[in-house]
Amino acid sequence: MLDLLPEWMRDGLGDDAAFWIGYLTNGKHLAWYASFQFTIFAALIGGALALVFGLVGASLKNARFLPLRAVGDFYSAIVRGVPDVLFFLFFPLAFEQTVEWFVSSRVCTPDSIAASVAPWPPCPQANWFLGTTEYLLLASVSLGLVYGAFATNVIHGAMRAVPQGQLEAARAYGFSAAQVRWRFQIRQMWVYALPGLSNVWLLLVKATSLLSLLQIADIVLWADRLGAPNFLPAVGLVHPDWRWRYYLALLVFYILVTWLSEKGFEALMRRAGRGVLAEVRR
Amino acid sequence: MSQAQAVETAATPVVEIRDLHKSFGALEVLKGVSFSAAEGEVISLIGSSGSGKSTLLRCINMLEVPDSGAVFIDGEEIRLRGQPPHRAIADERQIRHIRSELGMVFQSFNLWTHLSVLDNVMEAPLHVQKRPRAEVEAEARALLEKVGIGAKADSYPAQLSGGQQQRAAIARALCIRPRVMLFDEPTSALDPELEVEVLRVIKLLADEGRTMILVTHDMDFARTVSDRVIFLHQGLVEEEGTPEEVFGATRSARLRQFLSAGDHR
Repeated sequence: MLDLLPEWMRDGLGDDAAFWIGYLTNGKHLAWYASFQFTIFAALIGGALALVFGLVGASLKNARFLPLRAVGDFYSAIVRGVPDVLFFLFFPLAFEQTVEWFVSSRVCTPDSIAASVAPWPPCPQANWFLGTTEYLLLASVSLGLVYGAFATNVIHGAMRAVPQGQLEAARAYGFSAAQVRWRFQIRQMWVYALPGLSNVWLLLVKATSLLSLLQIADIVLWADRLGAPNFLPAVGLVHPDWRWRYYLALLVFYILVTWLSEKGFEALMRRAGRGVLAEVRR
Repeated sequence: MSQAQAVETAATPVVEIRDLHKSFGALEVLKGVSFSAAEGEVISLIGSSGSGKSTLLRCINMLEVPDSGAVFIDGEEIRLRGQPPHRAIADERQIRHIRSELGMVFQSFNLWTHLSVLDNVMEAPLHVQKRPRAEVEAEARALLEKVGIGAKADSYPAQLSGGQQQRAAIARALCIRPRVMLFDEPTSALDPELEVEVLRVIKLLADEGRTMILVTHDMDFARTVSDRVIFLHQGLVEEEGTPEEVFGATRSARLRQFLSAGDHR
């Protein structure tokens, strides 16, 4: 990195500054900075999926047809009850093995199964190698499924909080059931749902720190590696245990995300609350 | 059209109700009510609380589905299926069409709080009747002027007084160009001061020759505005006639008792 600077600037830097610039821009640090994209990706995709699953789950819970209601209730009750770490480990593995089982039923022959030395998958041709991208997508879906169950309950409650008289008025004016749901109930429920959804979102953001459980070299894993006491044979001890410094950087990052999220939700609340909330009346 | 057909068409009531029964659990609220409203007629439904007048009004547009009996709008019977307590609307398309021609005004206004006053008025004409936006907006603004709140078009309902909200609700009902206006105790939630402005608007509509069915506790207003008054008692029509007959030459002892109660103006 220092090599990229013009010579007059390099000369003007003191030794300390030159050291820190060099240290903080070495290959491992650049990999750490790049790994923030995984966390941000998982949060955004997981959050979007959680919202979709939440809307679907709440609609199922509100359905007239009993089996659909049962599916919605089962989803929100069971998934909320399972520890998220467990679900985070279970879902990608179960999904991977289901795909491998499905593929094996098509590609494995009795000979290839007999020749296989590993117990799973049944034959090497059915092996699905998961890279960072695949794990990241599965992690995002896991986050979506887990926090979608929480969002289901938040949205379900918010939909019930919409004044029934307004929905009745919509029916009285000839709106169809689907129009009543979309044009009135869902548009009005946001003002009741957003405080709860902001909680769900922040819990989901916190859960992105679990990405390393799925072999993803994420910000937590890199912080752990970079902060560990560092010896180089040529130099000796580069630095002692600096993990707390790296964890502090992560703390600042998560606080920043929280602050930005709060601002975002405040803006959404102002928009959703137009005409509804007392503080935006005047 | 032959003369006989013309006479028959002219005689078809806009609203006709035949032998309506409705129960909520063990409580029988309507026990066989029949009446009809001709074109341009203003009918007031009066009676004490629990007499079934609001339920009767809500059966006209099927917000409450009657257990038995029939409702006809412009001679077309609203189709129902099943038996109580599972009696339900049989034809969603038909009821949506019929509802789109019945302008209902609620006691608690029920304006859509997330929409501006103008959007409230335009919502059903645009998205149920699928009329052109420019035409609907011009009509909506004119109606808001007519009910005296033209300057509030861009406000939200929560920024309006109760009387203004109810006038906005009346404009919303008018904008669908209704065959019949249904008023469910339109002034009960209002202070007397605010009530006057709403009653003035309803009187204006009655004078225009609109077909209207009103549930009201305001006897003076019922007397002034109605062509016919129906007194309901314990789920039945106890007395019916012109305001002069009902208020001036009361036959039923129960109605006399009701009218002499101090809380009716």
